[in-house]
Amino acid sequence: MKRKPIDIFRYYLRIVLLIAFSIVVAFPVLYMISSSLFSQRDFNKLRVLPTTPMWSNYIKALNHRYFSYYLVNSIGTSLLSAIIRTLVVIFASFALTHLQFRGKKLILSALVLTLFVPQEAILYQNYKTIANLGLLDSWTAIIAPGLFSAAQMLLLMGSFTAQGRDTYDAARMDGASDMRYIWSVLVPLSGPATLTIMIQTLITSFNSYLWPLLVTNKPKTRTIQIGITMLGFAESGETGAQMATLALITIPFLIILAFTKRRIENALIRR
Amino acid sequence: MKRRNESKAYLYLAPAVILAALFCWYPAIIGFVQSFLTVNASGKVLGFAGLSNYRSLFADKAFQNSLKVSLRFIVLFVPANTFVTLLAASMTRRKSRFSAIPEYVFFAPVAVSLSAYSLIMKDLFRGNASVINKITGLKMGWITEPAGAMATLVILGIFLDFGIDYILLMCAFRSSDKSVLEAARMDGAGGWRLFLQIELPLIRETTLVTIFLALKDAILISAPIIILTEGGPYRSTETVMFYYYLEAFKSGNRGVQNALSALVIVIAAIFMALYNSRRRAR
Amino acid sequence: MRKAIIILLALLAIAPVFAQGAAEKETTTVTVWSSAQGSNQTVFDEIAQTFNDTIGKEKGINFEAVYQGKASDVLTKVNAASGTDSLPDIAMMDATAATDMNSSEYLVTVDKLGIDTSDIIDCAIASYSSEKGLLGLPFNASALLYYYNKTLYDAAGVTAPRTLDDMVQVAKKTGKLNADGSFEVAAFVGVPATFELSTFIGAQNGLSYLVNNRNGHDARPTEVLFGKEGTYAAFLEKWKAVYDTGYMNAISSGTTAEFTSGRAAALLASSSNLASIIKAVAGEFEVGVAAVPMVNEQATGGTVISGGALFSFTDSAAVKTVLEYLISPEVQAKWSEATGYVPVTTTAYETEQYKAFLSENPQYQVALDSLLNSNAGLANVWVPSAYSIYYSFQANIVDVLKEAKTIPAAVDEMVATIEAAFEAYASQN
Repeated sequence: MKRKPIDIFRYYLRIVLLIAFSIVVAFPVLYMISSSLFSQRDFNKLRVLPTTPMWSNYIKALNHRYFSYYLVNSIGTSLLSAIIRTLVVIFASFALTHLQFRGKKLILSALVLTLFVPQEAILYQNYKTIANLGLLDSWTAIIAPGLFSAAQMLLLMGSFTAQGRDTYDAARMDGASDMRYIWSVLVPLSGPATLTIMIQTLITSFNSYLWPLLVTNKPKTRTIQIGITMLGFAESGETGAQMATLALITIPFLIILAFTKRRIENALIRR
Repeated sequence: MKRRNESKAYLYLAPAVILAALFCWYPAIIGFVQSFLTVNASGKVLGFAGLSNYRSLFADKAFQNSLKVSLRFIVLFVPANTFVTLLAASMTRRKSRFSAIPEYVFFAPVAVSLSAYSLIMKDLFRGNASVINKITGLKMGWITEPAGAMATLVILGIFLDFGIDYILLMCAFRSSDKSVLEAARMDGAGGWRLFLQIELPLIRETTLVTIFLALKDAILISAPIIILTEGGPYRSTETVMFYYYLEAFKSGNRGVQNALSALVIVIAAIFMALYNSRRRAR
Repeated sequence: MRKAIIILLALLAIAPVFAQGAAEKETTTVTVWSSAQGSNQTVFDEIAQTFNDTIGKEKGINFEAVYQGKASDVLTKVNAASGTDSLPDIAMMDATAATDMNSSEYLVTVDKLGIDTSDIIDCAIASYSSEKGLLGLPFNASALLYYYNKTLYDAAGVTAPRTLDDMVQVAKKTGKLNADGSFEVAAFVGVPATFELSTFIGAQNGLSYLVNNRNGHDARPTEVLFGKEGTYAAFLEKWKAVYDTGYMNAISSGTTAEFTSGRAAALLASSSNLASIIKAVAGEFEVGVAAVPMVNEQATGGTVISGGALFSFTDSAAVKTVLEYLISPEVQAKWSEATGYVPVTTTAYETEQYKAFLSENPQYQVALDSLLNSNAGLANVWVPSAYSIYYSFQANIVDVLKEAKTIPAAVDEMVATIEAAFEAYASQN
């Protein structure tokens, strides 16, 4: 099929637009990487590329006395919340889809009701609870309020119902325990949903800012998101070191994303 | 057997119920009850207040202002965000040889954290003399002037939601029923007409989801403001939830804080109910 | 799988232990939350390190300096931590904390700790004294200064303005606009708020207060005075005249950067920024400092002392030792030299080291002189919801400058805002 000139024009126009759009979207990250090599003078002169790369910014960032604590706390809390939240949600969804018991409707609606209460609106009361329990400055404080999600429970319940109760009854007949059934039948069959929940939680938890800011007072318990706003690099005329720290925590995720992108897409695209 | 089954079910549900009770129902109810009481900064109840907390909330100029700011943010952010993410998704809706590259670029913002984006934007949009002005040739005061600060906040908001909205919309496009598209093409539909009349309506569900997500984020935005502008200049970016943060944690004004907390929950509930009824109606 | 869950739960249980790191043994740790920004924090860390290497080592005390953000962020944290074991031993805060600290049941006053304050300058003591005694130990005192680009002023043939009327003349000679109307060089950058106004209003008629009960020091304030005494209106009138020259860049953030990059010829800032401003200018021009311009000829009160103090929440010998160390002449002299804060003890001025430093760096003398020459009755403002009021002042002033709000309307609105905050506070405390 021969293309009309207008189509060829459109084709190239689209490519040009796509490139332009991509540059705009990528710009802040590119600037972050570029400016992580800036001297303070480069910042003052509003440069986009460094005059001479200041690799020492990365040394400063890595040598910051709390950087490793921030990183360990962030990775630790986000992994823990992802795992625990997924477990909590799996058990709740299993009970609500596979078991018969009194008050089921009531419990389900009560749990779903939590969707209606934004965490941001009960920030202070939750802070008070954690403080009264003597949990401030601990990993527990950072992750506790986010360990249950009704939205994710509904998602998983949808997936669990699809598996049907017949398999469960059959498995019970064969003498399989609930745990065995959950881990060798239910969860593998709802793989994409479970994976989505874990990744979602991992990202939200790693990125959360306001809550960890409130419940951590000691530098050694802070997460990286709080830490990077308190490095003090920018205030002491070392913005480059601040950007280097940002680059250090962002680039690993960009790499992980490059490898998992296909998988996530496959989970989301219905064919 | 049945009895055992029952207690087992409760056991499985216990973690979820305890967490929901401790970190959601309890604080929501306490906040609601205390919104009708006089409570001092350290949490001691001093007496019954009736509606006076609500009255002083609505009488507060700063609160009235924050309502306006939030409304302005929602009106600017939600359509802009929807348009931009839809644009990115539709430009890459068909797989081609090189589409993996823009797909990655558009998805990548999910890997950049809120504080990282906020700090980067804070530097890029520094003021009259800023990198953005230098590149674009604009003469905008950005975070140093009210209109510019709001614009910067909207841009930051878009970047924060971009990755996740994009991937949802792009995957929705690719999940669309191919036979419908083929049929339309047979009928001679093509280009814009095909896109606007067939492809876009096919992803209506997902678009609605992203709009609601954006709306929710817009109503609740506070953390990026803490890093970017601290509500300034002159309260021009002091949204309702940032105002809540100031009153609850900086001023320790429990009356206003509880009244606002109750109010936000009611508003959120109305939104959720509307959303659900719409979904169910379909 | 059950095993995995048990391991996880165990992990969760030990997480707090792990997160706190290896526990310090046998030494008493004194935690100090600080609000020193950037290079000032580096200096504060050094001061802590010196303590740990000397006195601390000897007495088994570990001085741990923790940066918690700006002074307002430290107050937020302190308020939130009140009644929990997260409360630090000492917190560095400013006047915005005074109202909360005055009513805090966890505060340990300086008198109670039994620290000898006889060497501390009077205005510093007065600035943190209430009916309960000395609330916090003055440590980082400062004065508001008028910073100007001396190179540019010399070229324009002007000197730092003595009054706001002079400032109008100076603005016309030092400001420069681009062809499109934007600032090439703004004559002045910034918007005053509570901090600046406590001097602009306080200095009028020899001595004035913004609110009653001596700006809230004698008792909780119940009434706003700047409205009926006309002091705020007098300021607004003169300030608007400066703005109307067209050379004032009324922005409230990034002002220091505007000045240090040469895009603004002057700004008002605390003397605590002196060292960092000189460093940021990096010799591109000469930095001049002067006393804050007077609102009018009757505004002879001088400059109110500002900056911060150290508030304690633990009554212990270790805390006392740390505090005494922090106001020792050597520490005060070092702190002042490295930051621009004014030493709070007279003994610090008398050290040879500091005398030599002052003669080499005359800019540091200006803040000191303006404080010592001020009316001793001047007081910083203690009001509840201080942060909200701070923002309200800025918005209010900008409304007058840019939105053509009339001065009487602006004053009335500000009085109403502050009195509403008094009422809300009174009903809850």
